[in-house]
Amino acid sequence: MRGVWATLASVWLLFAVLAVLAWTRQQPATQAPVVVVHGKNGQLLVPATAGTTHATTRTSPVPAG
Amino acid sequence: MIGAAASTAVPVAWLVARAAGLTALLLLSSAIWLGLAMSLRLFPPLRQKSILVWHQSLMWCGLGAVALHGVALLLDPVMRFSLPVLLVPGIAPWRPVAVAAGVLAAWLMLTLALSFHVRRRLTQRRWRLLHYAAFAAFACAVGHGLTAGTDMRGTTGLLVAGGAIAPSLWLVYARILVPRPVRA
Repeated sequence: MRGVWATLASVWLLFAVLAVLAWTRQQPATQAPVVVVHGKNGQLLVPATAGTTHATTRTSPVPAG
Repeated sequence: MIGAAASTAVPVAWLVARAAGLTALLLLSSAIWLGLAMSLRLFPPLRQKSILVWHQSLMWCGLGAVALHGVALLLDPVMRFSLPVLLVPGIAPWRPVAVAAGVLAAWLMLTLALSFHVRRRLTQRRWRLLHYAAFAAFACAVGHGLTAGTDMRGTTGLLVAGGAIAPSLWLVYARILVPRPVRA
């Protein structure tokens, strides 16, 4: 019977530790910024980090002649 | 959207592995405290038998927590541990010494737990020598927790390790210094 009590106490201890770890799990600090794109079918939210930033605009050379 | 869902999903196997590891350390510590307290005869003679049952049960429950720790690590998609890595000390690709300490502690715990069932076949001297392995298992388990455990870094780790070690040290100190009472 004492073995059963020890098992029950151990299971409860495991659940308690699991609950503490789950509770203290770090959440994402901030929500990722999104870009709102207005289209024909309504607005679309696009993550701002999805695309790369534009490179420096390069001017085409003036055609000779 | 899919990427966001994957990044915020609860890592169940990882949480269970950490919780089971910490629980195993607490149960092993409790079993050692009770064993030392029995050796010091801190409990009344009539309670010794029930304390012995608690001592053995806590050891087996600790081993159960160790098994759960291993299974959760096997299922964890990030760690990708294989069964041989969890059974053979020193072949882990990630922190081999730290993982080996945990594997060694688990094997020593299993040997000690099984030794209860062959107690009558062992002499008192061999039984005592075998029980000294509990200190090695405890040291390996604490070392494993401090070097490989995610939740035992910094102040929290020192508090958990100190909470496990301090009573054991105090009981060992008392065991060495205090003469054992002679049975009437």
